[in-house]
Amino acid sequence: MKKSGLLLLLSLVLVVSAFALAGCGSKEPTEPADPGNEPAAELPAGVQAIKDSGQLRVGVKADVPNFGLLDAATNKYAGMEIDLAYALAERMGLTKDDVKFEAVTAKTRGPLLDNGQLDVVIATFTIKPERLEQWNFSEPYYQDEVGLLVKKSSGIKGLADLDGKVVGVAQGATSRDAVQVEADKAGIKVSFLEFATYPEINAALESGRVDAFSVDKSILSGYVTENSVILPDGFSPQDYGAAMKKGADDLTDFFNEMLAEMESNGDMAALLKKWNLS
Amino acid sequence: MADLLANIDFLQEGPFSVPRWEALFANIGQLWQGALVTVLVASLGLALALALGTVLGVMSSSQWRIPRGFARGYVEFFQNTPLLIQVFMLYNAIPMLVPGLFIPVIAIGILGVGMYHGAYMAEVVRAGIQSIGHGQLEAALSQGFSYVGAMRYIIIPQAMRIVLPPLTNQAVSLIKNTSVLAIIAGGDLMYAGDSFAGRYGHYGPTYIVVGLLYFLMCFPLARLTRRLESRTRAN
Repeated sequence: MKKSGLLLLLSLVLVVSAFALAGCGSKEPTEPADPGNEPAAELPAGVQAIKDSGQLRVGVKADVPNFGLLDAATNKYAGMEIDLAYALAERMGLTKDDVKFEAVTAKTRGPLLDNGQLDVVIATFTIKPERLEQWNFSEPYYQDEVGLLVKKSSGIKGLADLDGKVVGVAQGATSRDAVQVEADKAGIKVSFLEFATYPEINAALESGRVDAFSVDKSILSGYVTENSVILPDGFSPQDYGAAMKKGADDLTDFFNEMLAEMESNGDMAALLKKWNLS
Repeated sequence: MADLLANIDFLQEGPFSVPRWEALFANIGQLWQGALVTVLVASLGLALALALGTVLGVMSSSQWRIPRGFARGYVEFFQNTPLLIQVFMLYNAIPMLVPGLFIPVIAIGILGVGMYHGAYMAEVVRAGIQSIGHGQLEAALSQGFSYVGAMRYIIIPQAMRIVLPPLTNQAVSLIKNTSVLAIIAGGDLMYAGDSFAGRYGHYGPTYIVVGLLYFLMCFPLARLTRRLESRTRAN
Protein backbone atom coordinates (compact mmCIF):
# COMPACT_ATOMS: atom_id res chain seq x y z
CA MET A 1 0.00 0.00 0.00
CA LYS A 2 2.70 2.36 1.06
CA LYS A 3 4.70 1.51 -2.05
CA SER A 4 1.86 2.20 -4.46
CA GLY A 5 1.22 5.52 -2.74
CA LEU A 6 4.82 6.48 -3.34
CA LEU A 7 4.55 5.47 -7.00
CA LEU A 8 1.43 7.56 -7.39
CA LEU A 9 3.20 10.56 -5.91
CA LEU A 10 6.17 10.03 -8.17
CA SER A 11 4.08 9.85 -11.33
CA LEU A 12 2.16 12.93 -10.21
CA VAL A 13 5.43 14.83 -9.86
CA LEU A 14 6.51 13.65 -13.31
CA VAL A 15 3.26 14.71 -14.95
CA VAL A 16 3.27 18.11 -13.28
CA SER A 17 6.84 18.80 -14.26
CA ALA A 18 6.14 17.68 -17.82
CA PHE A 19 3.34 20.23 -18.00
CA ALA A 20 5.54 22.90 -16.51
CA LEU A 21 8.21 22.17 -19.10
CA ALA A 22 5.70 22.19 -21.94
CA GLY A 23 4.48 25.54 -20.64
CA CYS A 24 7.99 26.93 -20.82
CA GLY A 25 8.50 25.72 -24.35
CA SER A 26 5.39 27.29 -25.79
CA LYS A 27 5.63 30.56 -23.88
CA GLU A 28 4.84 33.47 -26.13
CA PRO A 29 6.77 36.68 -25.60
CA THR A 30 4.02 38.35 -23.58
CA GLU A 31 5.45 41.78 -22.99
CA PRO A 32 5.97 43.81 -26.15
CA ALA A 33 9.52 44.85 -26.78
CA ASP A 34 10.59 48.30 -25.70
CA PRO A 35 9.72 50.53 -28.65
CA GLY A 36 12.82 52.62 -27.91
CA ASN A 37 14.99 49.73 -28.99
CA GLU A 38 13.08 49.05 -32.20
CA PRO A 39 15.25 50.01 -35.15
CA ALA A 40 13.54 52.40 -37.50
CA ALA A 41 14.27 50.36 -40.61
CA GLU A 42 12.55 47.06 -41.26
CA LEU A 43 14.53 44.03 -40.13
CA PRO A 44 16.27 41.93 -42.82
CA ALA A 45 14.52 38.62 -43.49
CA GLY A 46 17.11 36.48 -41.71
CA VAL A 47 16.84 38.58 -38.56
CA GLN A 48 13.06 38.92 -38.74
CA ALA A 49 12.78 35.13 -38.79
CA ILE A 50 14.63 34.92 -35.48
CA LYS A 51 12.50 37.68 -33.99
CA ASP A 52 9.35 35.87 -35.12
CA SER A 53 10.51 32.68 -33.44
CA GLY A 54 10.40 34.63 -30.18
CA GLN A 55 13.83 33.63 -29.02
CA LEU A 56 17.47 34.19 -29.81
CA ARG A 57 19.51 31.01 -29.24
CA VAL A 58 23.08 31.87 -28.34
CA GLY A 59 26.01 29.53 -27.74
CA VAL A 60 28.28 30.88 -25.00
CA LYS A 61 31.07 29.65 -22.77
CA ALA A 62 30.04 28.59 -19.29
CA ASP A 63 33.55 28.43 -17.84
CA VAL A 64 35.38 31.57 -18.96
CA PRO A 65 35.35 34.36 -16.36
CA ASN A 66 34.60 37.85 -17.75
CA PHE A 67 33.46 36.41 -21.10
CA GLY A 68 30.87 33.77 -20.39
CA LEU A 69 30.54 32.22 -16.97
CA LEU A 70 27.62 30.30 -15.55
CA ASP A 71 27.11 31.15 -11.90
CA ALA A 72 26.22 27.83 -10.31
CA ALA A 73 24.44 29.52 -7.40
CA THR A 74 22.03 31.62 -9.47
CA ASN A 75 22.15 29.53 -12.66
CA LYS A 76 22.63 32.75 -14.63
CA TYR A 77 25.26 33.55 -17.25
CA ALA A 78 27.41 36.64 -16.91
CA GLY A 79 30.22 38.18 -18.92
CA MET A 80 31.11 40.43 -21.80
CA GLU A 81 29.84 37.98 -24.41
CA ILE A 82 26.60 37.54 -22.51
CA ASP A 83 26.05 41.30 -22.63
CA LEU A 84 26.73 41.26 -26.39
CA ALA A 85 24.01 38.64 -26.79
CA TYR A 86 21.58 40.80 -24.78
CA ALA A 87 22.44 43.83 -26.91
CA LEU A 88 21.83 41.80 -30.08
CA ALA A 89 18.45 40.61 -28.82
CA GLU A 90 17.38 44.11 -27.88
CA ARG A 91 18.44 45.45 -31.23
CA MET A 92 16.14 42.88 -32.85
CA GLY A 93 13.28 43.97 -30.65
CA LEU A 94 13.45 40.99 -28.33
CA THR A 95 13.95 41.20 -24.58
CA LYS A 96 16.71 39.82 -22.39
CA ASP A 97 14.35 37.05 -21.32
CA ASP A 98 14.06 35.90 -24.92
CA VAL A 99 17.75 35.05 -25.08
CA LYS A 100 18.24 31.32 -24.66
CA PHE A 101 21.83 30.53 -23.68
CA GLU A 102 23.42 27.21 -24.40
CA ALA A 103 26.83 26.30 -23.00
CA VAL A 104 29.29 25.28 -25.73
CA THR A 105 32.88 24.05 -25.84
CA ALA A 106 35.51 24.47 -28.53
CA LYS A 107 34.38 21.13 -29.89
CA THR A 108 30.60 21.51 -29.82
CA ARG A 109 30.09 25.06 -31.03
CA GLY A 110 30.58 24.33 -34.76
CA PRO A 111 28.23 21.36 -34.98
CA LEU A 112 25.57 23.19 -32.93
CA LEU A 113 25.56 26.00 -35.49
CA ASP A 114 25.51 23.63 -38.44
CA ASN A 115 22.57 21.61 -37.22
CA GLY A 116 20.54 24.71 -36.51
CA GLN A 117 20.33 24.45 -32.73
CA LEU A 118 21.92 27.86 -32.30
CA ASP A 119 21.44 31.15 -34.12
CA VAL A 120 24.77 32.59 -33.11
CA VAL A 121 27.84 31.55 -31.16
CA ILE A 122 29.55 34.23 -29.06
CA ALA A 123 32.06 32.05 -27.25
CA THR A 124 35.70 33.22 -27.43
CA PHE A 125 35.60 31.91 -31.00
CA THR A 126 38.78 32.85 -32.86
CA ILE A 127 38.39 33.97 -36.47
CA LYS A 128 40.61 31.83 -38.71
CA PRO A 129 40.74 31.36 -42.50
CA GLU A 130 39.69 27.67 -42.34
CA ARG A 131 36.82 28.56 -40.09
CA LEU A 132 35.66 31.31 -42.43
CA GLU A 133 35.09 28.62 -45.03
CA GLN A 134 32.73 26.82 -42.71
CA TRP A 135 30.90 29.55 -40.84
CA ASN A 136 30.05 33.22 -41.09
CA PHE A 137 32.00 35.40 -38.70
CA SER A 138 31.32 38.92 -37.54
CA GLU A 139 34.02 41.56 -37.34
CA PRO A 140 36.26 40.99 -34.32
CA TYR A 141 34.99 42.33 -31.00
CA TYR A 142 38.04 41.43 -28.92
CA GLN A 143 41.68 40.60 -29.46
CA ASP A 144 43.53 38.16 -27.30
CA GLU A 145 46.73 36.12 -27.45
CA VAL A 146 47.58 32.55 -26.63
CA GLY A 147 49.32 32.13 -23.29
CA LEU A 148 50.76 29.41 -21.08
CA LEU A 149 49.83 28.57 -17.51
CA VAL A 150 52.41 26.60 -15.52
CA LYS A 151 52.87 25.49 -11.94
CA LYS A 152 55.18 27.77 -9.97
CA SER A 153 57.00 24.72 -8.63
CA SER A 154 57.90 23.63 -12.17
CA GLY A 155 60.45 26.44 -12.46
CA ILE A 156 59.35 27.16 -16.03
CA LYS A 157 59.97 30.83 -16.67
CA GLY A 158 59.30 31.13 -20.37
CA LEU A 159 58.66 29.33 -23.61
CA ALA A 160 62.34 28.30 -23.91
CA ASP A 161 62.01 26.18 -20.74
CA LEU A 162 59.30 24.10 -22.37
CA ASP A 163 61.75 22.01 -24.40
CA GLY A 164 60.69 18.36 -24.18
CA LYS A 165 57.62 19.23 -22.12
CA VAL A 166 53.97 18.34 -22.56
CA VAL A 167 51.40 21.05 -23.23
CA GLY A 168 47.71 20.51 -22.52
CA VAL A 169 45.34 22.13 -25.00
CA ALA A 170 41.62 22.05 -25.74
CA GLN A 171 40.32 19.95 -28.59
CA GLY A 172 39.23 22.11 -31.48
CA ALA A 173 41.08 25.18 -30.19
CA THR A 174 43.71 27.14 -32.10
CA SER A 175 46.26 27.09 -29.28
CA ARG A 176 47.88 23.84 -30.40
CA ASP A 177 48.93 25.27 -33.76
CA ALA A 178 49.92 28.58 -32.18
CA VAL A 179 52.24 26.94 -29.62
CA GLN A 180 53.69 24.61 -32.27
CA VAL A 181 54.62 27.55 -34.48
CA GLU A 182 56.35 29.36 -31.60
CA ALA A 183 58.14 26.20 -30.52
CA ASP A 184 59.45 25.66 -34.05
CA LYS A 185 60.67 29.25 -34.13
CA ALA A 186 62.46 28.82 -30.81
CA GLY A 187 63.88 25.49 -31.97
CA ILE A 188 62.38 23.50 -29.10
CA LYS A 189 60.29 20.34 -29.06
CA VAL A 190 56.94 20.14 -27.30
CA SER A 191 54.25 17.48 -27.40
CA PHE A 192 50.53 17.96 -26.93
CA LEU A 193 47.70 16.29 -25.10
CA GLU A 194 44.19 17.33 -26.03
CA PHE A 195 41.25 17.45 -23.65
CA ALA A 196 37.61 18.20 -24.18
CA THR A 197 37.17 20.88 -21.49
CA TYR A 198 39.33 23.44 -19.65
CA PRO A 199 38.74 21.93 -16.18
CA GLU A 200 40.14 18.64 -17.49
CA ILE A 201 43.30 20.38 -18.73
CA ASN A 202 43.59 22.15 -15.40
CA ALA A 203 43.25 18.83 -13.55
CA ALA A 204 46.00 17.39 -15.76
CA LEU A 205 48.19 20.39 -14.92
CA GLU A 206 47.53 19.98 -11.21
CA SER A 207 48.35 16.28 -11.30
CA GLY A 208 51.48 16.88 -13.36
CA ARG A 209 50.23 15.03 -16.43
CA VAL A 210 50.94 18.14 -18.47
CA ASP A 211 53.60 20.77 -17.78
CA ALA A 212 51.70 23.71 -19.23
CA PHE A 213 48.08 24.60 -19.95
CA SER A 214 47.76 26.63 -23.11
CA VAL A 215 44.77 28.57 -24.28
CA ASP A 216 43.83 32.22 -24.80
CA LYS A 217 45.11 34.40 -21.95
CA SER A 218 41.67 35.71 -21.07
CA ILE A 219 40.54 32.13 -20.48
CA LEU A 220 43.71 31.21 -18.57
CA SER A 221 43.16 34.07 -16.16
CA GLY A 222 40.20 32.17 -14.77
CA TYR A 223 42.40 29.21 -13.81
CA VAL A 224 45.26 30.94 -12.03
CA THR A 225 45.71 29.72 -8.44
CA GLU A 226 48.30 30.54 -5.78
CA ASN A 227 50.34 27.62 -7.16
CA SER A 228 50.25 28.57 -10.81
CA VAL A 229 51.29 31.49 -12.94
CA ILE A 230 50.73 32.71 -16.51
CA LEU A 231 54.03 33.06 -18.37
CA PRO A 232 54.82 36.50 -19.81
CA ASP A 233 55.05 34.98 -23.31
CA GLY A 234 52.06 35.63 -25.50
CA PHE A 235 51.75 34.74 -29.12
CA SER A 236 49.61 34.69 -32.23
CA PRO A 237 47.12 37.45 -31.45
CA GLN A 238 43.63 36.07 -31.95
CA ASP A 239 40.51 37.91 -32.99
CA TYR A 240 37.27 36.84 -31.38
CA GLY A 241 34.21 37.05 -33.57
CA ALA A 242 30.59 35.96 -33.33
CA ALA A 243 29.92 32.95 -35.56
CA MET A 244 26.79 32.19 -37.48
CA LYS A 245 25.75 29.46 -39.85
CA LYS A 246 27.32 29.71 -43.29
CA GLY A 247 25.05 31.87 -45.39
CA ALA A 248 23.34 33.64 -42.48
CA ASP A 249 24.46 36.92 -44.02
CA ASP A 250 21.50 38.99 -42.77
CA LEU A 251 22.32 38.19 -39.17
CA THR A 252 26.05 38.68 -39.71
CA ASP A 253 25.52 42.13 -41.23
CA PHE A 254 23.08 42.98 -38.46
CA PHE A 255 25.66 41.99 -35.83
CA ASN A 256 28.41 43.98 -37.57
CA GLU A 257 26.21 47.09 -37.70
CA MET A 258 25.66 46.72 -33.98
CA LEU A 259 29.40 46.36 -33.33
CA ALA A 260 30.18 49.44 -35.44
CA GLU A 261 27.58 51.43 -33.55
CA MET A 262 28.91 50.24 -30.19
CA GLU A 263 32.43 51.21 -31.20
CA SER A 264 31.42 54.70 -32.25
CA ASN A 265 29.10 55.55 -29.36
CA GLY A 266 31.47 54.28 -26.68
CA ASP A 267 29.30 51.33 -25.58
CA MET A 268 32.05 48.86 -26.47
CA ALA A 269 34.65 50.68 -24.39
CA ALA A 270 32.22 50.73 -21.47
CA LEU A 271 31.51 47.03 -21.90
CA LEU A 272 35.21 46.11 -21.89
CA LYS A 273 35.73 48.27 -18.83
CA LYS A 274 32.80 46.65 -17.05
CA TRP A 275 34.43 43.23 -17.45
CA ASN A 276 38.03 44.36 -16.76
CA LEU A 277 39.07 43.59 -20.33
CA SER A 278 40.39 46.94 -21.48
CA MET B 1 27.64 10.06 -62.63
CA ALA B 2 29.44 13.32 -61.90
CA ASP B 3 26.26 15.21 -62.73
CA LEU B 4 24.29 13.03 -60.41
CA LEU B 5 26.70 13.68 -57.57
CA ALA B 6 26.74 17.42 -58.28
CA ASN B 7 23.02 17.48 -57.59
CA ILE B 8 23.28 15.96 -54.16
CA ASP B 9 23.24 18.96 -51.85
CA PHE B 10 24.85 17.45 -48.80
CA LEU B 11 27.88 16.38 -50.86
CA GLN B 12 28.40 19.95 -52.08
CA GLU B 13 28.31 21.86 -48.81
CA GLY B 14 27.79 21.39 -45.10
CA PRO B 15 29.30 18.94 -42.63
CA PHE B 16 29.28 16.00 -45.09
CA SER B 17 30.61 17.71 -48.22
CA VAL B 18 33.12 15.98 -50.51
CA PRO B 19 36.14 18.17 -49.63
CA ARG B 20 35.72 17.16 -45.98
CA TRP B 21 35.78 13.48 -46.92
CA GLU B 22 38.89 14.10 -48.98
CA ALA B 23 40.58 15.92 -46.10
CA LEU B 24 39.79 13.01 -43.79
CA PHE B 25 41.15 10.36 -46.13
CA ALA B 26 44.28 12.42 -46.73
CA ASN B 27 44.92 12.20 -42.97
CA ILE B 28 43.45 8.77 -42.29
CA GLY B 29 46.77 7.70 -40.73
CA GLN B 30 45.77 9.47 -37.52
CA LEU B 31 42.69 7.29 -37.23
CA TRP B 32 44.64 4.11 -37.96
CA GLN B 33 47.06 5.02 -35.22
CA GLY B 34 44.15 5.46 -32.84
CA ALA B 35 42.50 2.22 -33.97
CA LEU B 36 45.76 0.39 -33.26
CA VAL B 37 45.82 1.71 -29.69
CA THR B 38 42.18 0.70 -29.25
CA VAL B 39 42.90 -2.84 -30.47
CA LEU B 40 45.91 -3.10 -28.16
CA VAL B 41 44.01 -1.81 -25.11
CA ALA B 42 40.96 -3.93 -25.90
CA SER B 43 42.88 -7.18 -26.37
CA LEU B 44 45.06 -6.84 -23.27
CA GLY B 45 42.09 -5.48 -21.31
CA LEU B 46 40.07 -8.50 -22.39
CA ALA B 47 42.80 -10.88 -21.24
CA LEU B 48 42.88 -9.15 -17.84
CA ALA B 49 39.09 -9.15 -17.58
CA LEU B 50 38.86 -12.86 -18.38
CA ALA B 51 41.53 -13.74 -15.82
CA LEU B 52 39.95 -11.56 -13.13
CA GLY B 53 36.46 -12.75 -14.03
CA THR B 54 37.39 -16.41 -13.72
CA VAL B 55 39.26 -16.07 -10.43
CA LEU B 56 36.68 -13.77 -8.84
CA GLY B 57 33.79 -15.85 -10.19
CA VAL B 58 35.23 -18.96 -8.55
CA MET B 59 35.87 -17.00 -5.35
CA SER B 60 32.34 -15.69 -5.11
CA SER B 61 30.87 -19.16 -5.51
CA SER B 62 33.27 -20.66 -3.01
CA GLN B 63 32.28 -22.05 0.36
CA TRP B 64 34.82 -19.97 2.27
CA ARG B 65 33.71 -16.66 3.65
CA ILE B 66 36.83 -14.51 3.14
CA PRO B 67 37.39 -15.02 -0.61
CA ARG B 68 33.63 -14.80 -1.13
CA GLY B 69 33.47 -11.49 0.74
CA PHE B 70 36.45 -10.11 -1.14
CA ALA B 71 34.95 -11.04 -4.51
CA ARG B 72 31.59 -9.54 -3.55
CA GLY B 73 33.23 -6.28 -2.47
CA TYR B 74 35.21 -6.08 -5.68
CA VAL B 75 32.22 -6.78 -7.91
CA GLU B 76 29.96 -4.30 -6.11
CA PHE B 77 32.59 -1.55 -6.21
CA PHE B 78 33.31 -1.83 -9.90
CA GLN B 79 29.73 -2.44 -11.00
CA ASN B 80 28.35 0.52 -9.10
CA THR B 81 30.80 3.30 -9.99
CA PRO B 82 31.16 4.74 -13.49
CA LEU B 83 34.15 3.55 -15.50
CA LEU B 84 34.76 7.17 -16.45
CA ILE B 85 35.42 8.13 -12.82
CA GLN B 86 37.66 5.11 -12.23
CA VAL B 87 39.75 6.05 -15.24
CA PHE B 88 39.85 9.74 -14.34
CA MET B 89 41.02 8.83 -10.82
CA LEU B 90 43.79 6.58 -12.13
CA TYR B 91 44.89 9.39 -14.42
CA ASN B 92 44.78 12.41 -12.13
CA ALA B 93 44.31 11.32 -8.52
CA ILE B 94 47.13 8.76 -8.32
CA PRO B 95 49.88 11.24 -9.30
CA MET B 96 48.50 13.64 -6.67
CA LEU B 97 48.45 11.00 -3.92
CA VAL B 98 51.78 9.46 -4.90
CA PRO B 99 53.84 12.25 -6.45
CA GLY B 100 55.77 11.11 -9.47
CA LEU B 101 53.73 7.97 -10.09
CA PHE B 102 52.36 8.37 -13.58
CA ILE B 103 50.69 5.23 -14.83
CA PRO B 104 50.96 5.38 -18.64
CA VAL B 105 47.61 6.05 -20.31
CA ILE B 106 47.70 2.78 -22.24
CA ALA B 107 48.14 0.89 -18.96
CA ILE B 108 45.29 2.90 -17.42
CA GLY B 109 43.14 1.84 -20.33
CA ILE B 110 44.00 -1.82 -19.92
CA LEU B 111 43.57 -1.70 -16.13
CA GLY B 112 40.40 0.39 -16.42
CA VAL B 113 38.40 -1.75 -18.82
CA GLY B 114 40.03 -4.96 -17.53
CA MET B 115 39.04 -4.40 -13.89
CA TYR B 116 35.63 -2.96 -14.77
CA HIS B 117 34.59 -5.76 -17.09
CA GLY B 118 36.36 -8.28 -14.87
CA ALA B 119 33.65 -7.51 -12.30
CA TYR B 120 30.88 -8.17 -14.81
CA MET B 121 32.58 -11.33 -16.04
CA ALA B 122 32.92 -12.55 -12.46
CA GLU B 123 29.15 -12.39 -12.15
CA VAL B 124 28.75 -14.33 -15.39
CA VAL B 125 31.21 -16.99 -14.22
CA ARG B 126 29.56 -17.22 -10.78
CA ALA B 127 26.15 -17.76 -12.37
CA GLY B 128 27.67 -20.37 -14.70
CA ILE B 129 29.27 -22.30 -11.83
CA GLN B 130 26.13 -22.19 -9.75
CA SER B 131 24.14 -23.55 -12.67
CA ILE B 132 26.18 -26.79 -12.51
CA GLY B 133 24.49 -29.17 -10.09
CA HIS B 134 25.99 -29.34 -6.60
CA GLY B 135 26.19 -33.11 -7.04
CA GLN B 136 29.01 -32.67 -9.54
CA LEU B 137 31.17 -30.94 -6.95
CA GLU B 138 30.32 -33.47 -4.25
CA ALA B 139 31.09 -36.36 -6.60
CA ALA B 140 34.44 -34.80 -7.51
CA LEU B 141 35.36 -34.18 -3.88
CA SER B 142 34.40 -37.76 -2.99
CA GLN B 143 36.80 -38.97 -5.69
CA GLY B 144 39.67 -37.23 -3.94
CA PHE B 145 39.78 -33.96 -5.89
CA SER B 146 40.73 -30.89 -3.93
CA TYR B 147 38.26 -27.97 -4.11
CA VAL B 148 40.48 -26.12 -6.58
CA GLY B 149 41.06 -29.32 -8.56
CA ALA B 150 37.35 -30.04 -8.73
CA MET B 151 36.74 -26.54 -10.03
CA ARG B 152 39.59 -26.76 -12.48
CA TYR B 153 38.80 -30.18 -13.98
CA ILE B 154 35.10 -30.80 -13.37
CA ILE B 155 33.02 -27.68 -12.81
CA ILE B 156 34.62 -24.94 -14.93
CA PRO B 157 34.83 -27.01 -18.15
CA GLN B 158 31.10 -27.68 -17.87
CA ALA B 159 30.27 -24.10 -16.95
CA MET B 160 32.37 -22.83 -19.84
CA ARG B 161 29.75 -23.73 -22.44
CA ILE B 162 27.08 -21.81 -20.57
CA VAL B 163 29.12 -18.71 -19.85
CA LEU B 164 30.75 -18.30 -23.24
CA PRO B 165 27.95 -16.35 -24.96
CA PRO B 166 27.53 -13.77 -22.16
CA LEU B 167 31.32 -13.47 -21.95
CA THR B 168 31.69 -12.57 -25.62
CA ASN B 169 28.89 -10.10 -25.08
CA GLN B 170 31.00 -8.51 -22.35
CA ALA B 171 33.95 -8.44 -24.75
CA VAL B 172 31.91 -6.32 -27.16
CA SER B 173 31.07 -3.86 -24.37
CA LEU B 174 34.71 -3.82 -23.35
CA ILE B 175 35.84 -2.79 -26.84
CA LYS B 176 33.34 0.05 -26.94
CA ASN B 177 34.23 1.17 -23.43
CA THR B 178 37.88 1.65 -24.36
CA SER B 179 36.60 4.91 -25.83
CA VAL B 180 36.59 6.46 -22.33
CA LEU B 181 40.34 6.82 -22.88
CA ALA B 182 39.52 9.80 -25.07
CA ILE B 183 38.75 11.83 -21.94
CA ILE B 184 42.29 11.39 -20.61
CA ALA B 185 44.02 11.99 -23.95
CA GLY B 186 44.61 8.27 -24.35
CA GLY B 187 45.45 8.32 -28.04
CA ASP B 188 42.78 5.72 -28.83
CA LEU B 189 40.43 5.72 -31.81
CA MET B 190 37.88 8.02 -30.17
CA TYR B 191 40.63 10.48 -29.15
CA ALA B 192 42.10 10.46 -32.65
CA GLY B 193 38.64 11.12 -34.07
CA ASP B 194 37.89 13.91 -31.57
CA SER B 195 41.24 15.49 -32.20
CA PHE B 196 40.89 15.45 -35.97
CA ALA B 197 37.27 16.57 -35.94
CA GLY B 198 38.01 19.37 -33.51
CA ARG B 199 41.09 20.69 -35.28
CA TYR B 200 39.75 20.89 -38.78
CA GLY B 201 36.01 20.93 -38.22
CA HIS B 202 35.45 17.89 -40.44
CA TYR B 203 33.44 16.16 -37.76
CA GLY B 204 30.82 14.74 -40.15
CA PRO B 205 32.98 12.21 -42.05
CA THR B 206 35.28 11.69 -39.06
CA TYR B 207 32.68 10.37 -36.64
CA ILE B 208 31.08 8.23 -39.36
CA VAL B 209 34.40 6.53 -40.08
CA VAL B 210 35.25 6.21 -36.38
CA GLY B 211 31.85 4.64 -35.72
CA LEU B 212 32.36 2.28 -38.64
CA LEU B 213 35.75 1.17 -37.32
CA TYR B 214 34.25 0.38 -33.90
CA PHE B 215 31.50 -1.51 -35.67
CA LEU B 216 34.04 -3.57 -37.60
CA MET B 217 35.76 -4.51 -34.35
CA CYS B 218 32.57 -5.40 -32.49
CA PHE B 219 30.38 -6.96 -35.14
CA PRO B 220 32.35 -10.21 -35.60
CA LEU B 221 32.29 -10.73 -31.83
CA ALA B 222 28.56 -10.04 -31.68
CA ARG B 223 28.04 -12.61 -34.45
CA LEU B 224 30.16 -15.08 -32.51
CA THR B 225 27.93 -14.52 -29.48
CA ARG B 226 24.88 -15.45 -31.52
CA ARG B 227 26.57 -18.57 -32.87
CA LEU B 228 27.64 -19.68 -29.41
CA GLU B 229 24.16 -19.02 -28.04
CA SER B 230 22.50 -21.20 -30.62
CA ARG B 231 25.09 -23.92 -30.00
CA THR B 232 24.45 -23.80 -26.25
CA ARG B 233 20.75 -24.07 -26.88
CA ALA B 234 21.28 -27.04 -29.20
CA ASN B 235 23.10 -28.83 -26.40
